[in-house]
Amino acid sequence: MKFDGLQGVVPDSALLLDEESRRVYECDGLSAHRAVPGCVVLPETIEQVQAVCRYCFDNDIPVVARGAGTGLSGGAMPHERGVLLSLAKFDQILEMDAEAGLARVQPGVRNLAISEAAAPFGLYYAPDPSSQIACTIGGNVAENSGGVHCLKYGLTVHNILQLKLVTIEGELITIGSHALDSAGYDLLALMTGSEGMLGILVEVTVKLLVKPSFNRVILAAFDDVEKAGNSVAGIIAEGIIPAGLEMMDRGGIRAVEDFVHAGYPVDAEAILLCEIDGTEQQVIGELEQVSALLKRYGATEVRVARDDAESTLFWAGRKAAFPAVGRISPDYYCMDGTIPRKHLAEVLAGIGALSEKHELAVVNVFHAGDGNLHPLILYDVANAGELERAEQFGSEILQLCIKKGGTITGEHGVGIEKINEMCLQFSKDELNQFHAVKAVFDQKGLLNPGKAVPTLNRCAEFGAMHVHRGEEKFPELERF
Amino acid sequence: MQAITEQFVDQIMHAADAGAALRIIGGNSKAFLGNDTNGDPLETTAYRGIISYEPTELYITVRSGTPVSEVEQVLAQSRQMLAFEPPRHSEKTTIGGIIASGLSGPRRPYAGAARDFILGITCLNGKGQLLRFGGQVMKNVAGYDLSRLLTGSFGTLGVILDITLKVLPIPEHEMTCSMKTSFPQARQKLLDLSRETIPVTAAAYENETLRIRLSGKKALLDETTGSLGMQVDQDGHVFWQQLRDHQHGLFETAQDCWRLSLPVTAMPAFNDEAFILDWGGAQYWFASARSAEAIFQQAQELEGSATLFCNNSKQEACFQPLATAVYKLHEGLKQAFDPQRVFNPGKMYAGL
Repeated sequence: MKFDGLQGVVPDSALLLDEESRRVYECDGLSAHRAVPGCVVLPETIEQVQAVCRYCFDNDIPVVARGAGTGLSGGAMPHERGVLLSLAKFDQILEMDAEAGLARVQPGVRNLAISEAAAPFGLYYAPDPSSQIACTIGGNVAENSGGVHCLKYGLTVHNILQLKLVTIEGELITIGSHALDSAGYDLLALMTGSEGMLGILVEVTVKLLVKPSFNRVILAAFDDVEKAGNSVAGIIAEGIIPAGLEMMDRGGIRAVEDFVHAGYPVDAEAILLCEIDGTEQQVIGELEQVSALLKRYGATEVRVARDDAESTLFWAGRKAAFPAVGRISPDYYCMDGTIPRKHLAEVLAGIGALSEKHELAVVNVFHAGDGNLHPLILYDVANAGELERAEQFGSEILQLCIKKGGTITGEHGVGIEKINEMCLQFSKDELNQFHAVKAVFDQKGLLNPGKAVPTLNRCAEFGAMHVHRGEEKFPELERF
Repeated sequence: MQAITEQFVDQIMHAADAGAALRIIGGNSKAFLGNDTNGDPLETTAYRGIISYEPTELYITVRSGTPVSEVEQVLAQSRQMLAFEPPRHSEKTTIGGIIASGLSGPRRPYAGAARDFILGITCLNGKGQLLRFGGQVMKNVAGYDLSRLLTGSFGTLGVILDITLKVLPIPEHEMTCSMKTSFPQARQKLLDLSRETIPVTAAAYENETLRIRLSGKKALLDETTGSLGMQVDQDGHVFWQQLRDHQHGLFETAQDCWRLSLPVTAMPAFNDEAFILDWGGAQYWFASARSAEAIFQQAQELEGSATLFCNNSKQEACFQPLATAVYKLHEGLKQAFDPQRVFNPGKMYAGL
């Protein structure tokens, strides 16, 4: 077997060849898709990563990188004939430069660990995906992860400065710098969210921000989803950019309240959580402004957290939404589409109709500030056909998002999960452009094969290729 | 607009067939920037207008030939702005030119750069194919981030057509504080301030004077200025506008004018050269008679990069040389977008 050759390349302790050990890595957070990797390598040094890549390049072996395996789109699902390259041992914070406001870390460092290490300096790393206790910064860069605070503080791409990566040919490359910009094309942006298709990250420099001195959360209840949506637009029109702006529908409120007892109003059709941060004086002023506005937009109840403890309690419900849903349903399938916010009521109604059609319940949580919707489809894998129905339901939600001018993934990535829907969102020429970019970094197509960007054949099989650019010379130009 | 796009495609196809080059021109206000490039002009100014603007969705979609001033006027009616403070070299400066050059003004370290506000781009590649990347929503991770890759690529990868940008509210109030101080003390003060939660939106030092711009609610600014130990500068807004638009006296130099992008903790030495510290210490502008080679060398030692901004002495290359492996990726990307090298050949680097 070709993998035996790796024995001279990395220490024996870094190589897992037996099936039992390999099976541990068979899936990431998207457990419906599994494959046992051909072998697992856990390198400890950059030189070892380079050596593994060189070996795989020479022997045409696929390489799938993995951080903590918390991804929700199957981006780290292994390749049966490939190497699963775990960066778990790259778990050191290499440099914490409080004066420059940055941290240089290895890719296997957990997201939250960076903020914890920065806390003594009054600093933190802003992007906070819900899995931040477990997920790694390498995975965050690969997926361009967001979180509940990205309306104000941006995504991963806005919060990193420099990357070191190993190419499939084993070359170590530095992209970006500790300055705010660098010469040449913006390869830093290209690498961010590239889902392990272009290179293996071995070091990340992140920007650290000064922790706001004060914050408070407002909880508002609505008897109508549309009113809640309108009030979000109202807050933004007022010139306020909240640190977080989250919405939850009736199903979500009830599931959460039974679980966390956050004091959510269970009769409401929707609740909105709005976090304001800054200096104390500024926050208090904006809280008054937002409270008045929410009432004007028809909130049936507006509660301003009295203290940090109550703010935390208001958030606790939102943060526990997924496990709360896990309590009321044996399985759930988390979707991740983004829509222009103005279509919220319409899209939620559409999701309701799909729920009836597929006879599966759905709960909606929503990063309302930036239009990122997470419908949770409830199903039971023990019931024959339910998983397939849930996946079909999910796919139709994504199609609805595209129809409303949105996208099939706001923050979870395409991975293996949404590979077919990519055929709907992008044209043949656009997919070909993606493939051409991929080939610049990975001529042989060995890095994470079969993920993120579908082949044209796959799209043809899926039967959904965007033929909107077919017969006439420029049929697409109407959309200008 | 369809006719204009078709005309662009014809131009591209003809150039590709003939092995000829095209020079992409918007308002032509940045012709001075970058290396010389030959080729027939492809003019974008007729491709103009605002396609959609939704203040409560925080985005605007505009055609690349639209003047920046027009975009900002429309945004201002809803009290919103392009928060990266794009420089306007003239009233003709187009939004396409700004995005292609990736330039951002004094607010950049505090709000983000042009690339940070890009949500989506429609472009024509070197095969004349119309491509759309990104979209109109804040969060979108479908496909590689090619809209940001095009930002700052100086037209070498494609003709940018439609641009969707995130917009932000205009701060209620702005105020500038200033003080006379030495360069080392100004640098230290800026590093100290960067550790506090003060609503700074610009910070510059030149001619023995440190200036800081604050933005936010009036009461907050009054409270902050009191604690800074600096004086309120009533003409501050004029200074920031001139710095943003590169109209400060330094840019009139008969020598070369350089831009230096550095880690904020780097300590550059200018000897007798006139300079401006911008971006809170992450960017410097300076006038110099030194060779490009010497300055690129110095920038590299400081772990940053230099750009020959006004190439008055006709030096050969305007952009910091790239590491070999990184340059190889640039060549590959150029090939992937523009295999016949139709667009702005040599504008950034001789081989692209």
